[in-house]
Amino acid sequence: MIQSLDVISVNLWQILISLANLLILFTLVKKFLFGPVKNVMTKRQAEIDEKYTAADVAVDAAEKDKKEWEEKMQGADAKAQDILSSASENAKQRSEKIVLEAKERAESILRQAEAEAELERKKAIDGIKREIVEVSGALTEKMLEREVNTKDHRNLIDSFIEKLGDSDDTDK
Amino acid sequence: MEQQNRKFKMIDVLYLLMMILPIVFLIGLKILTSPATTGISISGARIYFKLPMPIQDLVITEAQINSWFVMISIVGLCLYLTHGLKTQNILRRQHLAEWIVEKVEKLVNDNMGEYFSDFGPFIASIIGISAFSSLMTLCGLFPPTSDINVVAGWAILVFLLITYYKLKGGVLNYLKGFTEPIFVMAPLNVLGEIATPVSMAFRHYGNVISGTVISVLVVAALQGLSAMVLGWLPGFLGEIPFLQVGVPAILSVYFDVFSGCMQAYIFAMLTMLNIAGAFPQEEYEKRRQKKLLKAKI
Repeated sequence: MIQSLDVISVNLWQILISLANLLILFTLVKKFLFGPVKNVMTKRQAEIDEKYTAADVAVDAAEKDKKEWEEKMQGADAKAQDILSSASENAKQRSEKIVLEAKERAESILRQAEAEAELERKKAIDGIKREIVEVSGALTEKMLEREVNTKDHRNLIDSFIEKLGDSDDTDK
Repeated sequence: MEQQNRKFKMIDVLYLLMMILPIVFLIGLKILTSPATTGISISGARIYFKLPMPIQDLVITEAQINSWFVMISIVGLCLYLTHGLKTQNILRRQHLAEWIVEKVEKLVNDNMGEYFSDFGPFIASIIGISAFSSLMTLCGLFPPTSDINVVAGWAILVFLLITYYKLKGGVLNYLKGFTEPIFVMAPLNVLGEIATPVSMAFRHYGNVISGTVISVLVVAALQGLSAMVLGWLPGFLGEIPFLQVGVPAILSVYFDVFSGCMQAYIFAMLTMLNIAGAFPQEEYEKRRQKKLLKAKI
């Protein structure tokens, strides 16, 4: 026959067992519930922190890259401007040089031509003079063949031509 | 992958069995050992066997057996909740586990302060064992909390903790505390010290057993009422206590569920407040400063 305790019956050993029970349950709950859960929570926190720092680092790197690229782009602009301006400078210089050379050559050709023309003119003048002298000599010879001294006539005509030449040719 | 999944589920089932089997076993044990006569009687826990021990015989009763199996159940629950913990894509049970841990830690931090932040598991186990012990009545089992010895064990453990934390302020300080406000008050102070665990134990025990007593009385009264009101029904119909259907269940919601959980919460609350209140913060700080100074010299 199974007996029952009285409603209130104090038993020292039962109290001790109950005390030990609570202590054992405390260690078990700590080991199997709080330990793992807190562990996983701290792990998750660490993961989140890690991700945040990684994201920060990535943002920093991107920011740096952006700045670098912007600087590079600006540098490239300046360089292009430089190249353009130097090229146009070069072209200008060269064109000026070419024009100058062309001018010089043209001038020299002009000078040569003038000199040649002068020479020709002189030759022509001399030729004409001679011919005039000859022609007038011959004319006068023919007109005054008999009575006039050729020598006198020649002098006369020469002086005339001399005057003529003086009037239109100052070089002489 | 498939095999892993199956293994995971097998372990889950094992843990769930660890939770449920003790209760089923206890119900079976109760049915097997219940006496055939079902008269109305209010008595303590049933004695399974006695061990001869010094001072007093150790009697292993329903209360002991039930509390051990409740502990196994609670550990099974813990194992089930923490099975498959992950940092991402967490299972639903992990939400529950984290919720429990966070709530208890918050409760402890709010009521006890930073110094006692390691008390979380202790408070959780008090609430757990107390609530689940009281809720055993829902399965028709004897609740260990309605045995004074079980609750007294917890209260004495709390008393030891209170004394331990009081001694943190120095033995002299502890002894001086008894002579305040005047020397003559010393006996009363000692009584007051002892009264804490006694009142805690009796409060919990009394609440649970009073629920049982009232339930039994109400059931008996309903039986009598039923026989009186419905006794005119012919044959065996008159013997069926129809009024016993339903009404005790409503009482059970209050006395077993609400009161059980309430007492667990109150017991945990008193534990926290008493321990935190016993800790002499200033004295402890002073002593530590002194110790640090000594260590430096």
